[in-house]
Amino acid sequence: MAADKSTKLLAKQLFKLSLVNGVVSPEQVTGVLGWIEKHSPRRPVALLKVYHHRIALELAKSRAEVEHAGPVGDATLRQIEAAMSKRYARIITASAKPNPKLLAGLRVRVGSDIYESSVAGQLASLSV
Amino acid sequence: MSNVIEQIEQQIAKLSTKAIRKNTGVIRTIADGVAKIEGLSDVMYNEMVSFPGGVIGIALNLEEDEVGCVILGDVSQLKQGDEVSTTGKLLSIPVGKALLGRVVDALGRPVDGKGPIDSKETYPVEKIAPGIIVRKSVSQPLFTGIMAIDSMIPIGRGQRELIIGDRGTGKTTICIDTIINQARINKVGLASGDKNFRPVYSIYVAVGQKQSNIVRTLSALEAADALQYTIIVAAPAADNPANQYLAPFSGAALGEWFMENGMDALIVYDDLSKHAVAYRQISLILKRPSGREAYPGDVFYLHSRLLERAARLDGKGSLTALPVIETQAGDVSAYIPTNVISITDGQIFLETDLFNQGIRPAVSVGLSVSRVGSSAQIKVTKQVGGKLKGELAQFRELAAFAQFGSDLDAKTKATLDRGSRIVELFKQPQLNPIAIEVQASVLYILQKNYFDSIEVKHIVAAANSFKEFLTTRKTDLLTKIRNEAKLTDEIESGLKAAADEWKATFVAK
Repeated sequence: MAADKSTKLLAKQLFKLSLVNGVVSPEQVTGVLGWIEKHSPRRPVALLKVYHHRIALELAKSRAEVEHAGPVGDATLRQIEAAMSKRYARIITASAKPNPKLLAGLRVRVGSDIYESSVAGQLASLSV
Repeated sequence: MSNVIEQIEQQIAKLSTKAIRKNTGVIRTIADGVAKIEGLSDVMYNEMVSFPGGVIGIALNLEEDEVGCVILGDVSQLKQGDEVSTTGKLLSIPVGKALLGRVVDALGRPVDGKGPIDSKETYPVEKIAPGIIVRKSVSQPLFTGIMAIDSMIPIGRGQRELIIGDRGTGKTTICIDTIINQARINKVGLASGDKNFRPVYSIYVAVGQKQSNIVRTLSALEAADALQYTIIVAAPAADNPANQYLAPFSGAALGEWFMENGMDALIVYDDLSKHAVAYRQISLILKRPSGREAYPGDVFYLHSRLLERAARLDGKGSLTALPVIETQAGDVSAYIPTNVISITDGQIFLETDLFNQGIRPAVSVGLSVSRVGSSAQIKVTKQVGGKLKGELAQFRELAAFAQFGSDLDAKTKATLDRGSRIVELFKQPQLNPIAIEVQASVLYILQKNYFDSIEVKHIVAAANSFKEFLTTRKTDLLTKIRNEAKLTDEIESGLKAAADEWKATFVAK
């Protein structure tokens, strides 16, 4: 069932409560989930879905997903973490994800930003 | 073979290894040509957004957690979950003289089957109108070739003159006549070799019209050899509302290019009623709050920002706008008509009753006005046609009363006679613009009472006969009137002599 306006608003408020200094706090999230369980607000499933979606989006902003075709060492991941943390002024953790479709190179995704440095990406840009 | 390998290696060497940053999002919902996108955190208002398959959209609604995009292409291939990315570019279209003689869509892509357009430059579709400092007041005429308009409701270069009326009253015809007249003047001017001559390029924007009507317009322009100076921007009724919404702005961009590059252009928006309807449709789908007649609150701004782009720039060119509004049952007090009336520098009101009486163009003299055009009118037209509007207004007033009584005093009868002759004289077939020098000559002999002895039913024939007489036998006199643009003693005596000569030979049939 799609969330209505009031459910979205409540999810937004709960999401705000889940942040500490602009970062998702696991303790706060536990507290929010406990509150939902205890008070059973209207449309709980829709509420939880919206809340989950917002938290997932927020967490994605602090995560650098590094897609790679060839091998990627820990040192490279640490370098990416450092560079992204500096760029976004927040702590960002990098995780590797193999993707042979890239042919060679890397593709880093942080939130809605993509840093394309793969052969597949270069070829795609040539085709445009 | 090694050469080929070298070429590929060079290409590879050129490829930058630097990471390219893209801001992306995911389609959450897609319906009615509008996509709701999650992500796109860096998107700008009115930015072009790239969809899979080369489809382009424009970001129109920037909300807290999603972006509303109108899609300007085939939506059938797009689906929920598709990745989209920002382009960093505001919507731009190709501009320049290469587009003259072509029919393009709202994105400047050719739709006339004449092959690709070799345009080097692009221009943003949405642009803030020129400010106060760079503008210059309207002082140069733009002749429509329609006697009733050029003599009583003159239009100047850089003016916005609304053409308003019910359906089937000849709104488009006036616009097409004006475009044809510009082409005719351009040909004469360019052939004369006059270095100061400034041709007027025309842009005809068809919004929400039937494809058959657009073809008819195209054929009319082709037949009159006016297409070479014209660009047609077509967003027919079958096009999606996003294209219909964009087409006038694309046309304005094409016209602005001419203006910014020191040339003069004329743009016809046919019509802004349908444009407002397309914008209402988009706004309702985007869930923007609706106001009067379900139009969104910014429908006034939609048209004001479009029409404010028409201007005459100091040291550059000009863009004259002829927006068209279709009224319902002559109701000029509806929402969109009043908006556009208040934005423009005057209006030409076309009446169904006049049209049905055979008075074509069916210009209502009482309701039509040109607020800035009189300063652009050439002296000769002022000299011969200065009193016409007053005379015609008096005639209309008296004609209403004369219906109730038969005993009329001599003065009233004279006013009625004069008025009915003016009405006949202003009847003009469509697609047949008249040169300003011929108009002035005809009005001159009207003022000098040459038509008084001719029966009202023969006035049209007499005027046509005089026009033919002038164009075939008095070309030197016409050239002199065109060049001098005022009634000198020499021209006046020439006109008198010509009128006497014509009158002696004219026989009413």
